[in-house]
Amino acid sequence: MSSSTGLPNRVIPVLALAAFVSVWLLNLGVVQPNRIVAGTGYGLFGATGWLGAGIVSSLLCVVVVLAAKPIRNRFWVLALLLTAALMSLPLLLEVFALRKLPADSAYARIGIGAGFWCLAFFLALMLLETLSQLKASRRLQLSVVLLVAAGWWLCAAREGLSSLSLIREYANRADQFSQALTAHLSLSLGAVSISAVLAFGLALAMVRRERLRRPLLGLVSFMQTIPSLALFGLLIAPLGALSAAFPALQALGIRGIGWAPALLALIAYSLLPMVRNTYVALMEVPEPVVDAGRGMGMSERQVFLQVKLPLALPVIMEGVRITTIQAIGLTAVAALIGAGGFGTFIFQGLGQAAMDLVLLGALPTVFLALAADALLSALKFQETSR
Amino acid sequence: MIELKGVTRRFGEAVAVDNIDLTIETGEVCVLVGSSGCGKSTTLRMINRLLPRTSGEILVDGEDINKADPEALRLNMGYAIQSTGLFPHWTVARNIGVVPTLLKWPVQKRDERVTELLALLGLDPETDARKYPHQLSGGQAQRVGVARALAGDPNILLMDEPFGALDAITRENLQQEMLRIQRQLNKTTVFVTHDIDEALKLASRIAVMDQGRIIQHDTPEAILRRPASAFVENLIGKGDRGLKLLALRTVSDLMERHPEPRHSEPGSDSLNESDSLRIALSMMLWTNTEKLPVLDATGAEVGIINREQLMKVGA
Repeated sequence: MSSSTGLPNRVIPVLALAAFVSVWLLNLGVVQPNRIVAGTGYGLFGATGWLGAGIVSSLLCVVVVLAAKPIRNRFWVLALLLTAALMSLPLLLEVFALRKLPADSAYARIGIGAGFWCLAFFLALMLLETLSQLKASRRLQLSVVLLVAAGWWLCAAREGLSSLSLIREYANRADQFSQALTAHLSLSLGAVSISAVLAFGLALAMVRRERLRRPLLGLVSFMQTIPSLALFGLLIAPLGALSAAFPALQALGIRGIGWAPALLALIAYSLLPMVRNTYVALMEVPEPVVDAGRGMGMSERQVFLQVKLPLALPVIMEGVRITTIQAIGLTAVAALIGAGGFGTFIFQGLGQAAMDLVLLGALPTVFLALAADALLSALKFQETSR
Repeated sequence: MIELKGVTRRFGEAVAVDNIDLTIETGEVCVLVGSSGCGKSTTLRMINRLLPRTSGEILVDGEDINKADPEALRLNMGYAIQSTGLFPHWTVARNIGVVPTLLKWPVQKRDERVTELLALLGLDPETDARKYPHQLSGGQAQRVGVARALAGDPNILLMDEPFGALDAITRENLQQEMLRIQRQLNKTTVFVTHDIDEALKLASRIAVMDQGRIIQHDTPEAILRRPASAFVENLIGKGDRGLKLLALRTVSDLMERHPEPRHSEPGSDSLNESDSLRIALSMMLWTNTEKLPVLDATGAEVGIINREQLMKVGA
């Protein structure tokens, strides 16, 4: 246990206070007569009554007391308490739906209000602070995240939340949703893997030939500076012309719009971080180590595979991680040129002023990016602790 | 035997090594000594072809090294460098086993060799073998570097300032280890250093280099007694030349041996057989005596050494 456990923690009470204020001042949820009309907002007390308001408020008070008093093992208690609270948070919405949803209207639904998001956000920050006070291992952090995700999943599957606007939107588009997931993943991961191979080759060329370094780095940096929307648009004309000239390409699905220009643009954006990281990683292998390898009698190939590559791998993987997160986010924009993916929901929702449809696109995108981050960080962690 | 005949190395216009001739006999330790930039490391790195030579010939046991495959050549030459060059992602055991692995030795033979070398270099085969280089002290890392150079049982050992980055005490210890190991193994060794005391201590013969040329190539004693030029004289230091000469020989070379070992008085001032004459003189100065008894490893008095004999050594 860290030595700071005896001292009063200042971060958690501040966060708890912020959570308390925002959950009381902002709307916890909204009742909408249908998916487009703005609807009526309800605060914490209005939405969940004495019971809900009491539980939330007293939870925050207990958290403040625990953080301030030097009680033994208080951070473990806090971690348990906050994890449980986050896991069961959607139950608040269920209570809200039970109390306020008009029973006679087939189109009525409930939306999630700013108060709910703020509460979730501050609870998550407090949990983060608690875990860092506990110096939690990566495994523990990951299991907490999985627990919370499982809790939300179970809540979402319950009958009581079927009137939630987000879930309604999902239910209407379950097929499209899984299509979007496939399209999003294959586009972003495909682009990352192709550009990883390309970047590796380019970085190797730069290591071998010093003359290539400046022009190649210049080119990939330049591509990074083109605004993403512009690049997606710019590719429409040349690809359209290509597929018009060669019908065989059309049969493959390569047209001015769709996945082909999106993939090309994503690859172009992924190149810079990958090329730069791979190049720097390979160049920063200490010279004496390489010299010793050669002097021992290793061939150039053995020096590369047994010495340079393993030593460069953590930094190369860091490049892959950054690129993957970036590509998952950019793929959402690629929906504009008909590439599919979760961006489709975002742009549809914006067009129809249906904010919950936007959320249906945005939330999974964020989740995918976070999952990729966690996964690749875990891989990198293993590599260095070996 | 290593022979360099008219070897030159240029870097662009600059001449790093200028037409040198050097013969290193089998089993001897040849130390290349000189200030930085004199071409000593370049010479060493041409012997295992890490640097190509511009002109001249380098022969190992009569064969031109350019005829051999460079990797095969290097596998038969142990190589240790100042910054150790240990592979940071491999354990000590795997680092030492690198050449046996490259030579495709059977696993068991390789593991036995690693254990043997750890013991030889005074490392613990149990605990140290599993450590990573960053967990070692500077001296330990350099021991591993030397063990790695010896692992493939090469005929030739190339060492490029291996102890240059160590503190004085650790360096002294490792020099002693080197002498002990060399007595056991008798490897043909080329050793590069800028430290003349290290050269005098370790060398069978010293090659003094300056500006890419070999100024003098001779035994330590001959270099001390008859420096070939003002440069060499300066390098060895005029003032304490006598003491350096004394340091080259041990007490057992000069003492009057008793016909039979005698019992020695415990606690009285005495010398060990393996101490250098320099230590003997220092001890006489300190205790202000003419004579000192000499003990062997078991503590029995085997002889006596007196000051007059010592004084004649320098003459």
